[in-house]
Amino acid sequence: MNNPITPDLSVVQRRTFLKRSGIGLGHLALTKMLANDAAAAGADANASGRSDTPHHLPKAKRVIFLCMAGGPSHLETFDYKPKLAELDGQPMPDSFTQGQPIAQLQGKQLKCQGPLTKFAKYGNSGQLISDFLPFHQKMADQICVVRSLVTEQINHDPAHTFMNTGTAISGRPSMGSWVTYGLGSETENLPGFVVLTSVGGRNPQPIASRQWSAGFLPSRFQGVEFNGSGQPVNYVQPPPGITRKQQRRLIDAVGALNQHQLDKTGDPEIETRLSTYELAYRMQTSVPELADLADEPQHILDMYGAKPGDGTYASNCLLARRLAERGVRFIQLYHRGWDHHGGLVQYMNTCCGLTDRPTWALLTDLQQRGMLEDTLIIWGGEFGRTPMFQGKGGAGRDHHIKGFSMWLAGGGVKPGYSHGGTDELGYHAVDDVVHVRDLHATMLHLLGIDHRRFTVRHQGLNMRLTGVEPSQVVRDILV
Amino acid sequence: MRFPLIFAVLWVLGLNFGFADEISFNRDVRPILSDKCFSCHGPDGKHREADLRLDVEKDAKESAIIAGDVELSEVILRIISTDPDSQMPPPDSGKSLTAEQIELLKNWVREGAPYQAYWAYSKPLPQRIPDTQSKWPRDPIDRFVLTSQINQGMEPAKDADPVTLIRRLAFDLTGLPPSQRQVEMYVADPTRQTFARLVDEFLDSPAFGERMAIYWLDLVRYADTVGYHGDQDHNISPYRDYVIDCFNRDVPFDEFSRQQLAGDLLAGADDNDLVASGYNRLLQTSHEGGVQPKEYLAMYAADRIRNLSAVWFGATIGCAQCHDHKYDPYTIQDFYSLAAFFADVDEDQHFKVGSNALPTRRPPEMAVLTRWQRERLRTIDQKLSEFRGGSVKSENAKPSKSTKSKAATIARLEQEKAQLQAAKRTTMITQSTEPREMRVLPRGDWLDESGPIVTPSVPKFLGTLQTGDRHANRLDLANWLVDEQKGIGGLTARVMVNRLWFLLFGRGISSSLADFGGQGEPPTHPELLDHLAIQFVQDNWSIKRMMRRLVLTHTYQQSSQASPETISADPNNLWFARQSRYRLSAEMVRDQALTVSGLFIADVGGPSVRPHQPTGYYRHLNFPRRVYSPDRGSGQYRRGVYIHWQRQFLHPMLKAMDAPSREECTAQRPRSNTPLEALVLLNDPSLVDTSIALASRLLKRPAISTPQRLREIFQIVLSRPPDETEMSVLTDFFTQEIQHYRNAPQAATLLLESADDFVDTEMVAPVELASWTGVARLLLNAHETVTRQ
Repeated sequence: MNNPITPDLSVVQRRTFLKRSGIGLGHLALTKMLANDAAAAGADANASGRSDTPHHLPKAKRVIFLCMAGGPSHLETFDYKPKLAELDGQPMPDSFTQGQPIAQLQGKQLKCQGPLTKFAKYGNSGQLISDFLPFHQKMADQICVVRSLVTEQINHDPAHTFMNTGTAISGRPSMGSWVTYGLGSETENLPGFVVLTSVGGRNPQPIASRQWSAGFLPSRFQGVEFNGSGQPVNYVQPPPGITRKQQRRLIDAVGALNQHQLDKTGDPEIETRLSTYELAYRMQTSVPELADLADEPQHILDMYGAKPGDGTYASNCLLARRLAERGVRFIQLYHRGWDHHGGLVQYMNTCCGLTDRPTWALLTDLQQRGMLEDTLIIWGGEFGRTPMFQGKGGAGRDHHIKGFSMWLAGGGVKPGYSHGGTDELGYHAVDDVVHVRDLHATMLHLLGIDHRRFTVRHQGLNMRLTGVEPSQVVRDILV
Repeated sequence: MRFPLIFAVLWVLGLNFGFADEISFNRDVRPILSDKCFSCHGPDGKHREADLRLDVEKDAKESAIIAGDVELSEVILRIISTDPDSQMPPPDSGKSLTAEQIELLKNWVREGAPYQAYWAYSKPLPQRIPDTQSKWPRDPIDRFVLTSQINQGMEPAKDADPVTLIRRLAFDLTGLPPSQRQVEMYVADPTRQTFARLVDEFLDSPAFGERMAIYWLDLVRYADTVGYHGDQDHNISPYRDYVIDCFNRDVPFDEFSRQQLAGDLLAGADDNDLVASGYNRLLQTSHEGGVQPKEYLAMYAADRIRNLSAVWFGATIGCAQCHDHKYDPYTIQDFYSLAAFFADVDEDQHFKVGSNALPTRRPPEMAVLTRWQRERLRTIDQKLSEFRGGSVKSENAKPSKSTKSKAATIARLEQEKAQLQAAKRTTMITQSTEPREMRVLPRGDWLDESGPIVTPSVPKFLGTLQTGDRHANRLDLANWLVDEQKGIGGLTARVMVNRLWFLLFGRGISSSLADFGGQGEPPTHPELLDHLAIQFVQDNWSIKRMMRRLVLTHTYQQSSQASPETISADPNNLWFARQSRYRLSAEMVRDQALTVSGLFIADVGGPSVRPHQPTGYYRHLNFPRRVYSPDRGSGQYRRGVYIHWQRQFLHPMLKAMDAPSREECTAQRPRSNTPLEALVLLNDPSLVDTSIALASRLLKRPAISTPQRLREIFQIVLSRPPDETEMSVLTDFFTQEIQHYRNAPQAATLLLESADDFVDTEMVAPVELASWTGVARLLLNAHETVTRQ
């Protein structure tokens, strides 16, 4: 899979490299060398992105993607279906399910399961939101709910891969890597793409590191996972007993040996190594500083419901804001616990209890700081859940990919707006269907990137996040 | 070396190929047509526009190309048109041609638009070995290389210095640094004879198989876990040991291929063949609740064809899962017909019996010993029967030996036998069952059953299998892949030698190691590639002989240091007028640190090992929840090739240094240089341990002065003495470290806390040991240390 990737990358490298190059290679030679050598992809430890992007004026500078891993039920959050309540307990009409993919309910009798909570209209916009989400109710006029998402993968692992990379085949870059590759990072001291995870709810499904992989893009664009406890980033802590000063001396000495080697050989890789060690050193300070919430006032901690160091979704939301403030381009939170095949009411209470308020706090906090206008927030799972009953320990629902809900807010998105819809039973998205690829196209558009032109050469093909199947920007939800 | 102005001008025009040659269709024209035109005017019949195809000469010359006439050739008129309605490629395709490419196509049409059979689908042909009036070549290979350099107005780099060369050779052939003895031997007598002796020594070392296995395991996506969903462990490590053993015994590549694809179908298949057939089980699998077996079987089939095609065909046949290939002549029918070869693989049991245990169940499996364990067992059995049968004379000539000692020997052998039998490991194997029905899935959609049923057959344009009335099977496919007479063995040989070349030169002769198709890179030295492919087959597919041949060339032994002019003229080293420089692989970085520290344990084979890993790294795994227990003792010091390969969460040290997750075929790892890699080298506890061990190794030597010691540690790590500048860096650093620890001895204790496991800390003063540990860390972080030059 890993053929060296070519021309499109060269621009970044050429630019940063030429800026730094001191060994007298011709411009053209450098272009050619860098164009064909993935090694050179590290030419700058934290480069400033592709030179041809943004393609147009961006509305958003960064993305915070709140992934509700496991797949929350659209039917108990944003998609109210009174007809489903009427049919509660009755057989699901064949006309809906015939020939459709099905997960755990294979071979089972399919019965309708009415909504397991109440809905009401909120805000001036009158968006329908369920009782499970009291804090989302307060955000009704700020979020744009899309009720017509469809995806193509019905099991968790491939569905996440599809949501992140636009395909279920392993080895492709995740959207966070694409975005960071396209736009670079605005921080000198932190990675451009950061992943935070928390857990709580029913049967937490695994999450593979493939979900934040850079695929065939240079590995410096991969998501870097921040840990809730222990070392905030793997290997960021110096060995036991080693002081910062010592570590600085070590890096200086390594630098001196490498500089000496560079003088002898002129090897540009050495120059890169000098700069990666510098960024590594800065990360050893900036990461712990970022992870330390001690400088947050109590009222902010209370607003999120965060206790420093507890590794909860609430703490992660607060960390997301801190990362956003520091210029991180793509911040992805996973909360694992939404796989409600049974005990849906109980576990919705758990999951919403853990995530509803912090999500509101994050949005509100960003707004108070004037950052919501250029931050794109996206909330949703890898798929939704069936209108049909499943009963693994009390009423629940199976995986569902033909219609589900997500919401977007912030930079460039219509606030207090509803888009698209499913049929009367919440099975098929029927109005203004939004495919995962359309979501990607729209996200890139808001970041100033035309998804059709945003290609990288790999295995002889011009690859893009939105692939070769039709996809379009969802214009209706743009401001 | 000065370059004439004309050369520079041609270079600027992008005509770097054209200096001394005429236009070559395969090298110059086809890549342009492929990239810009074939997507709509190529092999894919379903999406062909205007019923025009440009990949087939006859069709193209019906109207679109009029040989010799630029003005009448529609192809040229369209590409120079500025009218958006007739312009080609169409503006909305996002593709366009450069002025140089247009000029080249015009010249090609002017010259009669000659086509050539596609290089990768033509059998390698014997090549005339070029004459050179030079003493430089040592092997025909060098003549091919030198001739191309001369054509480009270039000349070879000077020879690498002995230390660089011996380090390069050791890493390339064994993945380990050379021993001090080997360095001294070559530096004392840097002749071709000594070099050849060392080459043989390295090739004979078991480390050779381990080094080669890493590459092969990347290709075939070997891992210790299932990959999907719960990413449970599965049983497969005997396959890894089989691969190592094959490289060490130099099993011919054709046989190696047959055993893996169809070991279970070989006449008289033995344990070895069955372990090898585990190849067909290496793909990612899932038993997640709610998987639809039909969907997953379709995914598995596609996964398999992607791998088979990348590994043996050097092709991207996976593209034909949903539609005919856009650039190469593979059809969707070919894709499913190839998949049909594997429809007999018994693999759906796990949907029912797969468990969330570690390891999970992936029948069919069998319990086996390694080849050498089996041989030992046979020897023991033989001895036992000899003893018991009384015919001990040959074993034991002294009649005075009492029956007591005979009984003791028997007991010892029995004990060893029991131990061996207990050491059996389970491994997934291939078992053939009634083949599943295989249909073409239109657009790759597993729910669509409207496609025709297919039977096993090879891609049409490459030939057919002669099996009479019998359905072809995996063994027929394997034979065809490696038969240069009746099959495509010559093509397969070309794919493989290109990779062996890559392992020794840092770039393939065709730089797209897994894509010899139209969108890949054509070889820079097609004649040399053919020459090597033929040689490889003639040498009975011996990998060791090919590796030996390649490292003995003068081309291999050049310096990687080149003048700025050479780098300017040939930045990508297309003409091999120097060696390549790149960071060592993740495993080599680890193995080198272990070796110089003295902690290294050279055992071959066995269950996978678990070195230190950050706490909680597996916390996102579930079914079951995972607790990582690092090995105590020897497992910490085994080679990287034995590290437990968790697909979803590959060991972060390996990952930071570009080891692949092995979800898909990897023919060439990227070579990154990132802050995360720096953090690993600085802070990974395993590397800290090796630093402590290296320091203690140094301190155990007889008392010598600090400068002598600094020289010694430098020599141990870098195989050469430090120069003055380096000595002063080391001296300053050491002085600061020892001062620091004298003032804060408790910091030394803290650093050395973990060291009791592997260092006799009583023997050395902590302040000294900690300070020298600092020096060891410094050297293990140096760019030169982790670079193959």
